[in-house]
Amino acid sequence: MNPARRRRAVHALITAWTLAVVVFIYLPGATLALASLTSTRYFGFPIVKWGLDWWRKTFNSIEIHQLLEVSVKIAFIVMVVSVAIAFFGALAFARYDWRGRSIYQKLVLLPIFFPQSVLGLALLLWFNTLGLDLSWKTAVFAHLIWVVPVATLVISIQVYSFDPTLEEAAFDLGATRWQVLREVTLPVLLPGIVSGCLFSFLLSWGNFPLSLFTTGADSTVPEYLYAKMVVGYTPGVPVLGTVSTIGAVVILLGGYGLILMLRRSRDRRGTL
Amino acid sequence: MTSASVILELRGIRKDFGALAAVDGIDLAIAEGEFFTIVGPSGSGKTTLLRMLAGMEQPSSGDILLRGRRINDLPANRRPTCMVFQSLALFPHRTVGENIEFSLKIRGVSKVERRQRAHGLMRLLRLPEELYGKNVTKCSGGERQRVALARALAYDPEILFFDEPLSAIDYKLRKTLEKELKDIHRETGKTFVYITHSLEEAMVMSDRIGVMRQGRLVQVGTPNEIYVTPNNKFVSEFIGDVNVFPVEVAGPGRLRSSAIAGEFTAPKLPSGFSKGHLVIRPEYLRFLADPSGAENSLKGRLYNEYALGSRFQYQVRVGDQVFVVEKLRQQAYGGRLDDDVVIGWDARDSILVTD
Amino acid sequence: MARRGSWAIPGPGPRAALPLVLLLLVGFAAPLLAILDYSFMPPRTFSLTGEPTLENYVTIFQSTSYLSFLWSLALATVTVAVLALTCYPISYGLVRVFGRWATVLTLLFTIPLFVSENVRLYGWVLFFIKNGVLLGALKTYLGIEFDSWLFTSSATVFGMIYVYLPFMLFPMTLGIAMVPNETRDAAFDLGASRWQVFREVELPLSMPGIVIGFLLTFVLAVGAIAEAKVLGGQAIIPVTHDIEIAFTYAQNWPLGAALSVLLMLVVGALVLLVLRRFDLDTILGRR
Repeated sequence: MNPARRRRAVHALITAWTLAVVVFIYLPGATLALASLTSTRYFGFPIVKWGLDWWRKTFNSIEIHQLLEVSVKIAFIVMVVSVAIAFFGALAFARYDWRGRSIYQKLVLLPIFFPQSVLGLALLLWFNTLGLDLSWKTAVFAHLIWVVPVATLVISIQVYSFDPTLEEAAFDLGATRWQVLREVTLPVLLPGIVSGCLFSFLLSWGNFPLSLFTTGADSTVPEYLYAKMVVGYTPGVPVLGTVSTIGAVVILLGGYGLILMLRRSRDRRGTL
Repeated sequence: MTSASVILELRGIRKDFGALAAVDGIDLAIAEGEFFTIVGPSGSGKTTLLRMLAGMEQPSSGDILLRGRRINDLPANRRPTCMVFQSLALFPHRTVGENIEFSLKIRGVSKVERRQRAHGLMRLLRLPEELYGKNVTKCSGGERQRVALARALAYDPEILFFDEPLSAIDYKLRKTLEKELKDIHRETGKTFVYITHSLEEAMVMSDRIGVMRQGRLVQVGTPNEIYVTPNNKFVSEFIGDVNVFPVEVAGPGRLRSSAIAGEFTAPKLPSGFSKGHLVIRPEYLRFLADPSGAENSLKGRLYNEYALGSRFQYQVRVGDQVFVVEKLRQQAYGGRLDDDVVIGWDARDSILVTD
Repeated sequence: MARRGSWAIPGPGPRAALPLVLLLLVGFAAPLLAILDYSFMPPRTFSLTGEPTLENYVTIFQSTSYLSFLWSLALATVTVAVLALTCYPISYGLVRVFGRWATVLTLLFTIPLFVSENVRLYGWVLFFIKNGVLLGALKTYLGIEFDSWLFTSSATVFGMIYVYLPFMLFPMTLGIAMVPNETRDAAFDLGASRWQVFREVELPLSMPGIVIGFLLTFVLAVGAIAEAKVLGGQAIIPVTHDIEIAFTYAQNWPLGAALSVLLMLVVGALVLLVLRRFDLDTILGRR
């Protein structure tokens, strides 16, 4: 076989394999969506009776409203706090040269490279030692321990491509440190900050192992689903699962669109 | 130079990074309106020196005086000086106009006046007006250079610093911009302090040049002085292809070399000279048909020739030593490679330097 | 000359790092120390200030808990091996084959990261369960009946492979992207075969990303808790399950703490050993 044909054959194999894995990744999601559209109490395939009954029931449930509210509240607060900390954390990670930076970089990675269930239990024990009552607030703190390092890494990738002489130039042109931050550093790093927001919100939204041990009486969507899976399946489980999947997709695509728009508007100003 | 005309004075400036002295004691006075260039190879400490002058690094010791006032502790944003960076450091999220107006906006200058100033500067730098609203990332290399200069000029600094802004630009455009920069210097009358690793670039633009090596200034002078009377081997070699070989005094007016057999007629000896290097620029070497009348001559073999546009360069091997000879195209040497040749020079065209 | 340039006023690096370092001290280091302390407390006590004892560790090595420990390590190893083989062609494709489609595919692989793992695993339960999508379809359309494959140890591994795929894929992709095209071309040009290019150039140069992928998936798989519960039934009891039981039903915090400490030691040693060898600036910044 000649090299070009062989190359094409290898590429075709790689493409086929990748598509197969994509299907594999989305198969359970599709199954859930399918299951959510059954009207019967128990799921069976092929579906005997289609219907949106369980969607209606789920959305009318006050319990579910509370769950969504708690989940969104936690994810939103985690997002705001974590991006604020991670923005400066990323500057220390990738922008400045300082003694102890390499130890700091490893410290930031540790919580990511750590079994989350153990971290959740450790925090449970720690909150107990401090005498704190478990609630959604302690869950926010627990999420932060894991989400902030991830957000720091995400923003760091943008910071690495940031030319530090931009800050020096602005400073040299008479800007104060605050003006440098506002006029140069923040706007240039904005796409990274938006990705940091997306990651923070969504990772908190989908987190299970940390929430499991730290929410106390409050409950998030993943926790509720877990409880229902273990004892007492209802078709509300696939409904809520599908909702949380679609919610993540919408937010991710929305955020990705926002980043593209930021880039576009920056470029388009050139033609005015 | 009278002290009244000095704008920037350096007294014993040092910068240590750990045990390493990046800048190792520099004394220098730069005159008002001067185009002063610091030349040195990479690692010579020139960038560190410039960053100290601009206020981005603190000297370990020594004083920086601006019109006689010590400014060591003044941060960059409060010094009346401005830098054009090697990367240019144009703000990628801003248009050409916004980049130029940056310092004016910081100072709270009104929008109308800012626009007026920006347009004036764009005219001065021959930037087309329609670039005003264009994103800087969409500009060509030459345009970006001019925008960076305009942005610095908008600050209305007393001194402009340049950190090798032309180093990443192709040859032809660089030559154009070098001349333009000199024109801008004349038109604005401001003091320019420029650093580069290219002595050729420095020669084109500067009023005076300081050659830097290992954190020290080894020679300061006009381009002509640097070219004609380099005061050491490093400076003489820094300018480009040059013939250098070790010599010592053999007798009154006579020199002898460890590298080449025979004796040579010496030029005027620097005071106290006993041992050093003889420097002969390639354009001062001649091919001799008849060596008998020459002050100095050497027998060698023509090894290779290179066409350099307006000139030809020849490599002549004399024993293990290689000599470089340059001739204008009209006076090209007609011989073939591997010919035996005789080259010679007049003693007054050679220079003696110490190490 | 400073590589990243520095300000005239010293110390912006430490100052920017401060909030994050404080957060990790209070929320990461302190809880781990508390767990360490608890692991030396007498069994079934709820105080940090008891008489220190090694009893919990003795209990662990005398009971079958170390079995679940080994199970966890074995499952994680299998997961890493399968994922390495699964992800390499995809990562290679993302960097070298798919061109502008790579962005879309990357997005497709990212989305599952943001959906809780138990939700996704439950999708598999409905897929594999008796009368579920797979078995139901086989029965109805082909008339074949099988027993469900769920609630076996292989189902647990399957779940881990599924959940941790992105964590192998992305570092690996980053690693392969670090190999300059010209280096590969140069190796080909110097007469290397495809296989030799892979072994001599591509693999060693992309190693940092690959090893980080291994490490990340291994650590996460060792700490996995949902897979065994949702897909594996009780076919396997991983160490995390033992830990959870000790903390919840058994109300024996010191025992749970001791198990956690052992797990942390394994994971921590592994992470520090691997991370020490890599320069993060090169991997993340590609400078």
